[in-house]
Amino acid sequence: MEADVTVIGSGPAGLTAAVHAHKSGAKGVLLLEREEELGGILKQCIHNGFGLEQFKKDYTGPEYAERLIEELEKTNVQYFLNTMVVSLSPDKTITAVSPEKGLFHIKSRSVVLAMGCRERPRSSINIPGTRPAGIYTAGVAQRFVNIDGYLPGKQVVILGSGDIGLIMARRLTLEGARVKGVYEIMDYPGGLKRNIVQCLNDFDIPLYLSHTVTEIRGKERVEGVVVSKVDQKMNPVGGSKQFIPCDTLLLSVGLIPENELSKEAGVELTPITRGPVTTETMETKVPGIFSCGNVSTVFDLVDYVAETGMIAAGNAARFAAGDWKKGKNPVEIIPGENVRMLFPQRYSFKDDLILFVRSAKPIDKPVKIELSPLGVRLKRLYARPNEMIRFKVSRDKLKDVTGPVEVSITER
Amino acid sequence: MDVEKKHFTCVICPIGCEIDVELQNGNVVSMEGNKCEKGKEFVLQELEEAMRILTTTVPVKGAKWAMLPVRTDKPIPKRLLSKVIEQLADIELHAPVKMYHVIVKDIAGTDANIVATRNMKKVNHPKDAKKDLISRKEG
Repeated sequence: MEADVTVIGSGPAGLTAAVHAHKSGAKGVLLLEREEELGGILKQCIHNGFGLEQFKKDYTGPEYAERLIEELEKTNVQYFLNTMVVSLSPDKTITAVSPEKGLFHIKSRSVVLAMGCRERPRSSINIPGTRPAGIYTAGVAQRFVNIDGYLPGKQVVILGSGDIGLIMARRLTLEGARVKGVYEIMDYPGGLKRNIVQCLNDFDIPLYLSHTVTEIRGKERVEGVVVSKVDQKMNPVGGSKQFIPCDTLLLSVGLIPENELSKEAGVELTPITRGPVTTETMETKVPGIFSCGNVSTVFDLVDYVAETGMIAAGNAARFAAGDWKKGKNPVEIIPGENVRMLFPQRYSFKDDLILFVRSAKPIDKPVKIELSPLGVRLKRLYARPNEMIRFKVSRDKLKDVTGPVEVSITER
Repeated sequence: MDVEKKHFTCVICPIGCEIDVELQNGNVVSMEGNKCEKGKEFVLQELEEAMRILTTTVPVKGAKWAMLPVRTDKPIPKRLLSKVIEQLADIELHAPVKMYHVIVKDIAGTDANIVATRNMKKVNHPKDAKKDLISRKEG
């Protein structure tokens, strides 16, 4: 079969992209989802705080998804459920498989990657110890509780203070489990401040910074974990070991963009985000393949995920319609002082630049964000690694740039 | 007279001001750390009655999934969160359920309603449907 714009994945990025590709005039828009319903991870994120910026509403994840699905149902966008994309080629031929259609191919004029991300497991952080039952990533536990109705354990230790870990600390407490503490290897929390307050402080759950789990004990089931304080180089401090009895360990130790398909299509990835190298149009280095949401870089707000979905879809629709000029050669956008992450990494002079940056270390003093050679573009009261900074630089300001643009976050 | 000290992290905006308050006989005598008036209002509200939205799930029969996500339709006193959770313990719903369907009115005297936060379709014999999928795969 053939399509103008094919969107892979129907989470917040993909749903927004599909709706927006339609609104941008694309005729044959196709949305592919490997699960049995639309919405992706939103379905299990039953907490509120979604869409505060985008819709000025305080939705829960499922409400946010339903709102996007309602919009989708008003369009003639075709969607296939239970459909797993098994390969994507550089010429934008998609091979997918579903129980209804078997193996089939789609030749698409443009493609929007919206596969999202996955959780880092135990093996990616190498915790020593036994391999008992009772070790889950926070998102898996979230699915068990919120969709399947199972409580993963009664005495819980959480490693990592990412937002999903914090949300699950509250959720498990409300469901009757005892969360003994959240242990974070860094000297600052990983999640948003509002989650620290409303998920931990509200329930008197302690947060231990500069701490990590150095051993897991238990034969059949987790019997406890050993936690240790870490020094500035993140090495365990001798003599700081403490045994915490528990039956469950949740891991909230980061997310990784899911780019197996992108790689196969020849899309170049960057270690800065672990996602595709893209321009401000969200186009990857393969013409006509666009990327948005958490497959590009792990965002902390759904509003930003949706925003990149909109940009990607608008441009994918233009590409499919043949309204796409090569234009000026893109310039690189590179991380300078105190910038850990930035997105996108190239500017192609087609549009205003919406830039997302994350500072490398927390600065709780007034900061300036500088785009050399353009000068200071933004002033803020603080910069923290757990909070992405979003700002816009107009096309007009960037039009005369010839070399790389370096972004830095420094005290002012 | 005894001065009571309290600490708050404001969650009105992402800045998250760390605010220190001194109280005498329950009255605020000093407040430090808030960068704006909203921070002050936040602390006063927290002192008077901390309010929170509650989100949780209730079991649902005859649907594809075991649990239906629900929320309070407005903030309720934080001290009543566990009471509300207890009152929801015995509830069991039957699909189909429409989003924003009121499941419990005026829960625990809070004046807030518990509402569904998604549509949940009715599925006939979900277990058989799954078996069918597996057998097709094997066949």
